[in-house]
Amino acid sequence: MRKGLVAAGLAALLMTNAASAQTLNVATAGDQNMVDYIKDYLGPLFEKSHPGVKVVAVGTGPGDGGSQKIFEKLDAQKKAGAASDFDVVVIHQKAAGEMVKSQLLRKYRDALPTGKLVTRETADNALGTEVTGYVMPMFHSQTALAYNPDLVKTAPGSYAELRDWVKNNRKQFGYNGIKGGMSGVAFVTGWVSAFGGDAAKLEKGPYDAATKAKWEKALADLKEFNQNVVITPGNAGTLDMLNRGEIAMGPVWVDMFYTWKAEGKLPPNTRLKLISPGMPGQPMYYAVPATTKQDKLAAEFVALATSPEVQAEGIVKRFNWYPGIDAKNLEGKLDKAAWNQLFADITPDSLAANGKPFPIAPYFNDILESYEKKVAN
Amino acid sequence: MSGNVRTSLASAAPASIPLPVNQGLPAPRVRFWAYGSTLFKVLGLGAFAFFLFGPLANLVLWSFAERWYAPFKLPVTYGTRYWEVVFRPTGDAMSSLLTSVGIACLTVLVALAVSIPAGYALARLKLPWRTALMILFLLPQAFPSVAIYINVARVFYSIGLTGTVPGVVLVHAAHGLVYSVWIAAAAFAAVDRDLELAARNIGASPLRTFFTITLPLAAPGIMASAIFVFLESLDEFTGTFFVGVPQVTTLPLLLYNASMGGNYQIASITALILLVPSVLFMLVIERFLKADVLSKVGQ
Amino acid sequence: MERPSLIGLALIAPALAMIGALFLYPLGFSLVSAFTEESGRLSLTHFQKAYELYSTDILFTLFIVIVSTLLTGLISIAIAGILTLSETPWLITALRNLYRWPLFIPFIVAAQCMRTFLAKNGLMNNSFVALGLMEPLQATSFLDWRGIIVTFVWKQVPFVTLMLAGAMASIDRATIEAGRNLGASRLRVLIEIVLPQVFQTLLVGLVLSFVTMLSVLSVPMMVAGSQPTMLTVDMAFRINSYGDYATANALGVISYLIAGTVAWIYLRHNVKQGAQA
Repeated sequence: MRKGLVAAGLAALLMTNAASAQTLNVATAGDQNMVDYIKDYLGPLFEKSHPGVKVVAVGTGPGDGGSQKIFEKLDAQKKAGAASDFDVVVIHQKAAGEMVKSQLLRKYRDALPTGKLVTRETADNALGTEVTGYVMPMFHSQTALAYNPDLVKTAPGSYAELRDWVKNNRKQFGYNGIKGGMSGVAFVTGWVSAFGGDAAKLEKGPYDAATKAKWEKALADLKEFNQNVVITPGNAGTLDMLNRGEIAMGPVWVDMFYTWKAEGKLPPNTRLKLISPGMPGQPMYYAVPATTKQDKLAAEFVALATSPEVQAEGIVKRFNWYPGIDAKNLEGKLDKAAWNQLFADITPDSLAANGKPFPIAPYFNDILESYEKKVAN
Repeated sequence: MSGNVRTSLASAAPASIPLPVNQGLPAPRVRFWAYGSTLFKVLGLGAFAFFLFGPLANLVLWSFAERWYAPFKLPVTYGTRYWEVVFRPTGDAMSSLLTSVGIACLTVLVALAVSIPAGYALARLKLPWRTALMILFLLPQAFPSVAIYINVARVFYSIGLTGTVPGVVLVHAAHGLVYSVWIAAAAFAAVDRDLELAARNIGASPLRTFFTITLPLAAPGIMASAIFVFLESLDEFTGTFFVGVPQVTTLPLLLYNASMGGNYQIASITALILLVPSVLFMLVIERFLKADVLSKVGQ
Repeated sequence: MERPSLIGLALIAPALAMIGALFLYPLGFSLVSAFTEESGRLSLTHFQKAYELYSTDILFTLFIVIVSTLLTGLISIAIAGILTLSETPWLITALRNLYRWPLFIPFIVAAQCMRTFLAKNGLMNNSFVALGLMEPLQATSFLDWRGIIVTFVWKQVPFVTLMLAGAMASIDRATIEAGRNLGASRLRVLIEIVLPQVFQTLLVGLVLSFVTMLSVLSVPMMVAGSQPTMLTVDMAFRINSYGDYATANALGVISYLIAGTVAWIYLRHNVKQGAQA
């Protein structure tokens, strides 16, 4: 048996050493669909235009935790003085700010042919940190309320209406608190923006540590609100309970929602609604680590990934994500049906009015910690 | 406690000698009781099987479900679409699986190689701070592993161990030491000292005594720990990520992503694939042991 | 017994070196951050914060892990007892082939299975309704502390039973037969004759289970909502959301103290047993 063990182990050693000539390593935070997108669509496309190159995609887990892992790994490499073994990373906003501050990223966007196709504020500013030049948005995602029209005749249109609806429909609304993923976090920051006063200051700054004292009432209300809702286990947990009809409504990420629907895990008539005064959304960024040895190849990869053709075909049509580059660049690249499909539930106007950024990082942390102290404890 | 050891391997199958139990009762009542007790056993076993396999049935159902949502109690449509997704050419599932199994095998070897001497020392030799040392080996289970692995990765970068199979094996083995050291120590402690003394008295050297008497008698317990180390390695993903990725990718990484993200179909299929090496390993070990005689552990 | 032996130290050295290099040394960084302020001064502020924010979760974790360990112990004794003492061969065969399966299911998959099994409209309640054992309206969700306990017990019972059944199979049958011949019921034989002989094995299994359950992140994360939750979830949250390793490590120290205490109790007991023998 010993021999068998050794043989199996050696086989593993050999397998991993037999890598191909040139490998582009892409690490992506987020759900499995992000990995699939690169493995099945973008990777092969890039390999076709760059013979001899192999794209390897690795997922690091959903939510900020996934981005945090990438941050830690790059940081460890930097501290050990080693070159980065990731060539392209796909990360969330919070980690992007941290990585720029820790000088872990390369300033590559200005030289990128597609760099000028995006003018959205989030391409330059990640939760209050200036990231101009370091990141290129892959796609934009948005949180919204998913609901089952069979159980909810008229969905609430605002946080205030939702509060009343929950009073009359106990345990029909579910969200995942703040420890189980970003959709719950988004719902909570949206709540504080709606009832805590001065939403603009939360998004733009400047930071004032005294602000959190003004949230007392909003958080106390949220605690009361929580009495009548179901706390679900995670982003996927909310969708999971919608799947079995255990809750009728809950906040979800739009892209996950569409994936679940496409995989036959949600009732086909489930719909989305973006309530006022707004719920947060955020982009995923492509970034290039400062110490990668394949920076040229990495930049070419991102250029391909953010070209209007790929954004139209891959991001919008295949995966139902909102494009990362400005939507007007996709005109003519996309048939009307695919475009309308994307905005079937949430109209472009509604998205413009109610799609908000997350609060800047210090407020963000204050909201989470206040929630832990005042609501969850 | 003496005497147990000698029977440990021989009495693998419990001898079940039916005992006359209800002798005093008239025949019809005996039959009634017999039926009643059989019925009770069948029902009990049924309930046990339900709770055991209910969750697993879910796994199998999801792996073949193409559409499944409320208000339907069972999948709306079945198919093998997701099996094709997992085994698609770009999916790397098979190569990840081979890497995982290879790493798990090496991990078992490394863990046993260091924990057999350690276990023997802890069980038989006089060591200062024995209790503290035993508790020390629980460490890897108790701390937030992310924090540890980040620092391990930092060290490994400077000595070139990141992205290599040996690096991953070391991390997994350190994590598995909890099981292998504790169980090996217990297994050695259970070996009858008289047997060793007898061997020594007829002139065997200490080393020879160890290899011909002590080790074989402790083997069942040590093999049990091998199973746990193997399974632990096969499930590990945090350490693999920090030390192995991107050069070394294992199947649990895919499993973790899919499961946390709610990709039930992919996660279920991956879990079913991972069952194969686990069960095979268990069967191989049992073939060596003839039966589940994990005797003497901790006695 | 030999006196403090150099050989002993030499034998344990490789294992210690491994733990030292791969855990103690990296852990050093963690401990420093748990016990110092940002200025570098020694302090317990992080423990204070951990206590303020997570005192409920500490108690919750203790409750979950203790109850799960006790249930695991009881069920494992029952299964191993039937395997050893039952006189119905088909029952033994069936049980022997059944009980082990959860051992091979990773925690994260177990969590996923349980989440869809124990839910309000999950497979379990649906089966009960289909069998007529329950009205649809009576269905409740078990996805809270009960779900976590069920998952832990489901996963750990095979682990402990595997060790226990092996130990029971190797005890001297003569003692059991003697007890039976004297007219003792099987339950009494199990409790008074069999269990004392395998008690150490049971304890090792339970201590290892206890520590394992304390360290699992995926089960509390995926099975139950987050209020309250277990320490592992809080640690992951501190790190992922705030990058706050100090408080996470303080929680880690608390978690290790819990694990260490249980191990210490076991080892004390072990020493006493050794003295009596």
